[in-house]
Amino acid sequence: MLKVSDLRVSYGPIEVIHGISLEVKEGECVALIGANGAGKSSTLKAICGLVPAKAGTISFEGQDITNQSGHAIVRAGITMCPEGRQVFPQMSTVQNLRMGAYARSDNEQASDLEDMMNMFPILRERAHQAAGTLSGGEQEMLAIARALMARPKLCIFDEPSLGLAPKIVAEVGATIERIKKMGKTILLVEQNSLMALRLADRAYLFEAGEIVLSGTGEELQSHPEVAKAYLGH
Amino acid sequence: MIEILQQIINGMAIGGVYVLIALGLTTVFGILGIAHFAHGSVSMFGGYLTFFLVVMWGLPLALAILIALVVGFLLGVLIELLAYRPVRNANHINAFIVALGLTMMVEGLNLEFFGHEQVVIPTDFSRVFNIGGVTIPELRLYVILAAALLIAAMTIFVEKTKTGQAIRAVAENRDAAILMGVNVNTIPLVVFSISTALGVCAGVMVGALFAIAPGIGEGLVVKGFAVLILGGLGSIPGAVVGGLVLGITEALAAGFISSAYKDVIAFVAMILVLLVRPQGLMGKA
Amino acid sequence: MKLTTLTAALALAGTTALAAEKTLDIGVSDALTGGAAVYGLPQANAVKMAAEEINAAGGIKVGDDTYMLNVIAYDDKANPTEASNSVRKLIDRDGVKYILGFCCSGATGAVASFIENEDAVMLVGNAAERSITTREIPNLVRTRPPADYTGAAAGTFVAQKGHKKVAVLGALDIGFYASYVDAFEKELEKAGGEIVTRESFGLKDRDMTPQLTKIRELGPDAILVVGYVEPAAFIYRQAVELGIDVPRFGFTSGSEEQFLRVATSEQMEGVWDLRPTELTLLSASDNGIAYHANYSEKYGIAPSPSSPYAYDQTYALKDAIEAAGTVDDTEAVAAALRELPVPDEVVMQYLPVDGKMFDVNGQAYTSNGAFQWQGGNWVFVQDLPSDAAAYSAFLSTID
Repeated sequence: MLKVSDLRVSYGPIEVIHGISLEVKEGECVALIGANGAGKSSTLKAICGLVPAKAGTISFEGQDITNQSGHAIVRAGITMCPEGRQVFPQMSTVQNLRMGAYARSDNEQASDLEDMMNMFPILRERAHQAAGTLSGGEQEMLAIARALMARPKLCIFDEPSLGLAPKIVAEVGATIERIKKMGKTILLVEQNSLMALRLADRAYLFEAGEIVLSGTGEELQSHPEVAKAYLGH
Repeated sequence: MIEILQQIINGMAIGGVYVLIALGLTTVFGILGIAHFAHGSVSMFGGYLTFFLVVMWGLPLALAILIALVVGFLLGVLIELLAYRPVRNANHINAFIVALGLTMMVEGLNLEFFGHEQVVIPTDFSRVFNIGGVTIPELRLYVILAAALLIAAMTIFVEKTKTGQAIRAVAENRDAAILMGVNVNTIPLVVFSISTALGVCAGVMVGALFAIAPGIGEGLVVKGFAVLILGGLGSIPGAVVGGLVLGITEALAAGFISSAYKDVIAFVAMILVLLVRPQGLMGKA
Repeated sequence: MKLTTLTAALALAGTTALAAEKTLDIGVSDALTGGAAVYGLPQANAVKMAAEEINAAGGIKVGDDTYMLNVIAYDDKANPTEASNSVRKLIDRDGVKYILGFCCSGATGAVASFIENEDAVMLVGNAAERSITTREIPNLVRTRPPADYTGAAAGTFVAQKGHKKVAVLGALDIGFYASYVDAFEKELEKAGGEIVTRESFGLKDRDMTPQLTKIRELGPDAILVVGYVEPAAFIYRQAVELGIDVPRFGFTSGSEEQFLRVATSEQMEGVWDLRPTELTLLSASDNGIAYHANYSEKYGIAPSPSSPYAYDQTYALKDAIEAAGTVDDTEAVAAALRELPVPDEVVMQYLPVDGKMFDVNGQAYTSNGAFQWQGGNWVFVQDLPSDAAAYSAFLSTID
């Protein structure tokens, strides 16, 4: 479904992604793991059109989407739930959710909104509260729900558990599990490697802007280097 | 009591003008972080154009305003495309200098096209209403009503329409808005055309109530930024409250303290508000 | 405009090429753009028109030479710095010795401060600040009387109308308007009246309702408006809108056209303008009527009431040069100006002091008049009680 080949990304003169290739198949949950600064987020930003690709190609459902503008990529069916949640702080929960459906032109948005409220009951309670006043966990749920409002074909999660209390992290993990069961294709970046590998069908390990290892979630979990460096045992 | 009420009514007309100017400035600032200094001069261009259409071409006022509004929309698009877009990704000082240059250019064009003489847009509204000793000239009443209508329309647009929500979203979090599929190239065009059209309305109001002359636009834009700071940068309710507060404070200051120092008093009041609420009246801390 | 003057002069030169003809450049420094252009531009136009008339009538005769006038006009925007620059340019670059125009006091005062050291003669028009002629600058004369000369006459007039409580709304941060009000107050108080409030406004203010609301609360039996035409027009209009129905007196010298751009004739009805007897068709002499017709034809717009101050400067200069018999000796021309009887061609109605147009201070006096807006026009109602000789003596005591 998503195919990245020989992708290179630079910020100014400094290259941070040195020609990586990866693939996400329909219905899969793929995780990118690795240390901070290994290039996971930059890869996601290039896929979403937030930073330009210097070289290589990105294709989605057979279409070349390399260096297309962000809004065109959203319309192609890729939605990202960004790191740090990035809700619109002064807009209400409902307004945030409606923004999630911005690129859609069908008339089923109201029923989707209702579905999200059912899936995340806390959002119904907070429906007309400014999003900036929600707790971190609530904001994460809002960000996830907002991403789902776009009815994406590929849903990208960038560090969904970052900065959250352990109890909430577990909740986020359970939520992604549910989304996976709904049949959504997922690309997940997560510093909590254990959680990521448990959720993922397949995973790629990043180191210094390159992919050094790939395999199924179980394979990587049991790989000695991964276990030592990223899983803490 | 009548005197106070009268002064409040006096201040509401100019306050309404301040609100319209500030609404344009605040949406532009919210989206692009640009201090759009040329806004006042562009607004006066709208007033001049209306005057020209009414007096030189003999068009009815309503038609002239309509044409000026359309021109305002297009002018906003041109300003964004030609002046601000090229420096969008550059250092902020570049946009600042473009804004100053644009101000001089528009002032110069106004002078070239419409001359240096004071211009008053003629209207037929010369009745005066008297409500319990408080007098409201017909024209002022219409200006206040029109300003209220435009403010309501702007609020509904921003809160209830998809494009309006996208404008808010870009202002609050540009990257997240892109991830929602908002085209951040077209939003500034929409913002500039709407704020310029609002400015044109303000220009027409100033031209009909008072007069348009070289320099008036620059004075207005300074007041507009004062309103922005008073109300809270980038806040639409802030622009509304701030504009009315400034207009009424000026009237009360001129009426009860000193007409010579009304601007000074208004600015002192503004500073006092900011000491208590540094984020402005409606700004978020 | 410069070009047409020149071509007119050249055309004349072609037809009367017998005598030795020379060109005399005269300068104008005045507000041709900006807020004060309502006064300055008509003055510059008036000088150009007078120069053309003089040229058409055979120029200025000095001995065997005949001089055709050529006007060089610069825009000083009524700004002191700009005025100093434009006068320097006229004297140093253009070699001009006679400088006319000067509608506005700030700019005029700046030039007056250094003109005494120059080989030049300065003729001031509409600028009304008193101090311009209190220093007895030998090479400066002024056609317009100082504001307080008129203010005193206005105060007497308003007191005679029986008004006791007068509210003032004026551009009081401008010196000569304040001095008009001071002189007005002195005469009003002599008759037992008083000024109940002095409200002011800035040059760019157009919303006077706050000040007028305050005045309305004080319940005066007359209001006095002193200031430039444009803000004054807004005051008259907004006073009606606020339901103030006491007599409105003013000191503005605006034309009908200028007021009607802002206010309707109904809103202006009954307003008094207490000012030097300047140009209005009803009070004008034959010269005035001809001036009005010629100016209107030439420029396509009626002349402003104060513009003849500059027109008269030009004829006073002509007579003085001919009396002195020189164009080069500016001291002689300046001295001749002080001795000059009122020229035949002038438009304003001057009150000569000792038979001379300008007194020892270089100051001319016109009669002052009470004009009232009636049915769309300024109508001359009566002369104000003015005493030129007494004021001239008073002016000499000030330094």
